[in-house]
Amino acid sequence: MMSIPFFFVVAALAAAWSGYRQASVALCAAGLLTLLVLFRLHATDMLGVAL
Amino acid sequence: MTPALTGRLNALGLFAISAVLLFAFADQFIRNDPPCPLCILQRAAFVLAGFGLALNLRFGPRASHYAVTIIGALAGATIAGRQVLIHIVPGTGSYGSALFGLHFYSWAFIIFALIVLGTAVMLLFDGQFSGGEAAARRLPGLSLAAFALFTLLAFGNGVSTVLECAGGLCPDNPTGYLLLR
Repeated sequence: MMSIPFFFVVAALAAAWSGYRQASVALCAAGLLTLLVLFRLHATDMLGVAL
Repeated sequence: MTPALTGRLNALGLFAISAVLLFAFADQFIRNDPPCPLCILQRAAFVLAGFGLALNLRFGPRASHYAVTIIGALAGATIAGRQVLIHIVPGTGSYGSALFGLHFYSWAFIIFALIVLGTAVMLLFDGQFSGGEAAARRLPGLSLAAFALFTLLAFGNGVSTVLECAGGLCPDNPTGYLLLR
């Protein structure tokens, strides 16, 4: 599951290599979205700092 | 700034990000130090930041490609910053080894900030956006090498993460590879 952002970007690189710019940007956006969701799933503990 | 110089600088930037990923791989395999979940997400953010530079190499420089790099770097800085804050209070421990007195997540935060700064500096040169696309259709050797190495490292990180975490979320303190046990 945590490998999904990497494979989205690999697919985006393949699309870019093939000349499909919009598809590659869309795949990259999907990778970014997945990254943020995974970060949300892992950032659950309260930080022990007073900001 | 000419399109050729822009291409070279983007290729060097992509090599620099690849060097970061290679160093992380070296630490992972030579010192047998599997990356933590936040470390993996920071690697993914490096890959996303580098993707903007790869777009510049393939399609010519565009402000939107630099934006991809900045967004990826900001996501990475957020994740690295969170990990710094987790360990910022003395006595709360750390994760992984230190390099020149700073842990990898602290270095990651600094490098993400430098990526944002470097990308902003590149955006100052408007001349690169005129006629660069035609020149970038055929990748010269340096750009091709940077693109290929970066793609290989992105794929390698994906495979490594599958081996370490299988199909789910990674353990908070990984000691090995779930699929290799």
